[in-house]
Amino acid sequence: MNLNVFLSSIRNNSWVMPVTVMALVLGALLAISLKTQQSIRSTSLPSNRFSGLAAAYRDQQEQIKLANEEIRKLRERTTQYENEMASASEKAKLLNQSLQEAKFLAGLTEVRGPGVEVILQDSKKRPPANSPIDIENYIVHDSDLQRVVNELHAAGAEAVSINGQRIIANTAIRCVGPTVQVNGIALSSPYVIAAIGDPDTLVSALNLPQGVLTDIQAIDPGMVKVVKKNEIIILAYTGSLVFRYAKPVGTTPGSSSQGEENVSQ
Amino acid sequence: MNWLPVVALLAGFLVFYFVPLELPSDYAPYLSLATLSGLDSILGGIRAGIEGKFHVDVFISGFIFNTLLAALLAYLGDQIGVDLFLAAVVTLGGRMFLNLSLIRRYYLTQWSISRQRDTERT
Repeated sequence: MNLNVFLSSIRNNSWVMPVTVMALVLGALLAISLKTQQSIRSTSLPSNRFSGLAAAYRDQQEQIKLANEEIRKLRERTTQYENEMASASEKAKLLNQSLQEAKFLAGLTEVRGPGVEVILQDSKKRPPANSPIDIENYIVHDSDLQRVVNELHAAGAEAVSINGQRIIANTAIRCVGPTVQVNGIALSSPYVIAAIGDPDTLVSALNLPQGVLTDIQAIDPGMVKVVKKNEIIILAYTGSLVFRYAKPVGTTPGSSSQGEENVSQ
Repeated sequence: MNWLPVVALLAGFLVFYFVPLELPSDYAPYLSLATLSGLDSILGGIRAGIEGKFHVDVFISGFIFNTLLAALLAYLGDQIGVDLFLAAVVTLGGRMFLNLSLIRRYYLTQWSISRQRDTERT
């Protein structure tokens, strides 16, 4: 029987019970692990790709920022050229003046002036248990932003932006998932609404009794902050200016007057 | 008697597979490592049992300690940006292969002995 040194221990089975118990635990671990991985695979991206995706996302954001910067610079240069061309004759000067006014109104120029900053942010509080107030009320919604912007315009604000996104004639403010999109750019809390206008008028309009901020402040005063500013710079609109359907009335259909800054009267 | 751990493994798996219990996906990497470390401990326990060197205290403390260490390594790696959990995966994986080979050898030897006995009897 020199075949096996192990044979002496065959009868000693004291190890079986502890191993069995641990095998039970391991089985449980395996099952939970498998289920968790399955749910991750079905509902979200595998966690080991997060870092790579985050880097790609950051790169993309950086590029968008650079591209926007370039758009801003190019548009500034267009303005310069327009001004230079205008110096040639009196007619061109007049034309350029109305062009610059139109661009100013359209939000295509960076503007500065006195105004207010309204900072809206999601509440850090949670509704008390059994409270009839929905948790939805503790979050800043697109409708809140819309109402504030509307009130600011009503009070004479001449330029408004949300987190640097200029509000122009066809800007949409809408809720997309957990973010709010302005000009198609996703923004998240805190939302800084900057407006140029008479600071006192703007602030008193915002603070009207039963005004736009009353409901939000009733939930949590910390969600709203209004600051008067002596000088605010509001950036120009950097989005697309291509009109595919609208054409100015009065131009002959043949002569396509599709130029970006065609504001002939 | 020696097949009891396998039955327990299956039982634990099946019970928890159908119990609606799920961990948040943030803990998924730690859970996977804990599972791996548990598997290593079980194989190590079986091997020690076969060799007659089994100690309950070593076994249980090893199970708990290795699991915690693996999770800690993964956490630390996350914090400092190095895939430290790979260290646990490589170590545990290598040891599992070693233990499995010893267990396989033991049962193969047993099988050949019993066959030899049979041939001697006839």
